[in-house]
Amino acid sequence: MKYNKASEIVITTISNLLAGKVEVKEEMSLIGSESLLDSMKLVELCIALEDIADEYDFEFDWTSEEAMSKSRSMFRSVAALAEEFKKQSEA
Amino acid sequence: MIIVTGASRGLGKAITERLIERSEKVVGLSRSINDLHIEGIECDVSNYLSVKSAAREIKRMKMPVKAFINAAGIASMNLAITTDKSTVQNLIQTNLVGTIYCCQLFAPIMLRQKYGSFINFSTIAVALALKGESVYAASKAGVETFSRTFAREMADFNVRVNCIAPGPIKTDLLKGITDSQIKNITSQQIVPKQYQKSDICDLVELLIDEKASSLSGQVLNVGGV
Repeated sequence: MKYNKASEIVITTISNLLAGKVEVKEEMSLIGSESLLDSMKLVELCIALEDIADEYDFEFDWTSEEAMSKSRSMFRSVAALAEEFKKQSEA
Repeated sequence: MIIVTGASRGLGKAITERLIERSEKVVGLSRSINDLHIEGIECDVSNYLSVKSAAREIKRMKMPVKAFINAAGIASMNLAITTDKSTVQNLIQTNLVGTIYCCQLFAPIMLRQKYGSFINFSTIAVALALKGESVYAASKAGVETFSRTFAREMADFNVRVNCIAPGPIKTDLLKGITDSQIKNITSQQIVPKQYQKSDICDLVELLIDEKASSLSGQVLNVGGV
């Protein structure tokens, strides 16, 4: 999967979760005090991405150490999550 | 489907048999599946990757998971000062860390469904602070606190988490415990009698039932404290 496709998937999924109320940008954070999403929405995002990954025939693993670490976390920004989604699609 | 860890013996086996009597589909997780008479997955709950692999296998089955019962556990009755390092580590790793691994790695399946129930196992030794069970009780105290807190994290998704804390039930874990020691423990319960595996199975049935939908984050001390 190309990065642009991964980014489009991640942004669309977040936007759907937020009912289109916020314009989602790549630099936006998904964890921490400035996060776009509360913990429940973050879990819903992960589950939605898991389902999309199934459609593309790969497994999206969001339970790794990298997933939750603040400094390296895939949730540190929308772009980082898109990059990780792309990476896992190629594994 | 209901998943039971430690399904090959002791309480886990008794619970599995009871659930099968109720015509539930049960999948047992056990370090060795040779002794299992049901569908099983080899899994060492103290090993993160082993639990993760089991969770992946269950997810691939694409069946709803009604409950996850963390019955795997070990016991060692010793004074803290006569408990060796590896026993301390094994107790914490299997009883506490194993329960945490199973809950965190199987929770996503229930979060997706937006229903389900986790049942974890503690011991009455936590509430009674029983002499000679300090390390074992510490590992289970961790399970109780984890369960109560985890219950709050799961509540938004209609997933319940409860804990059963039995007194001395006749299983392999009680090897070496004399009748007078058992009587000494049960005499400290509100109902001073020794309960059986079947009593614990009754509580499991209660907790997985829809009628228990108001119960989450609770520790049920068998016999009362």
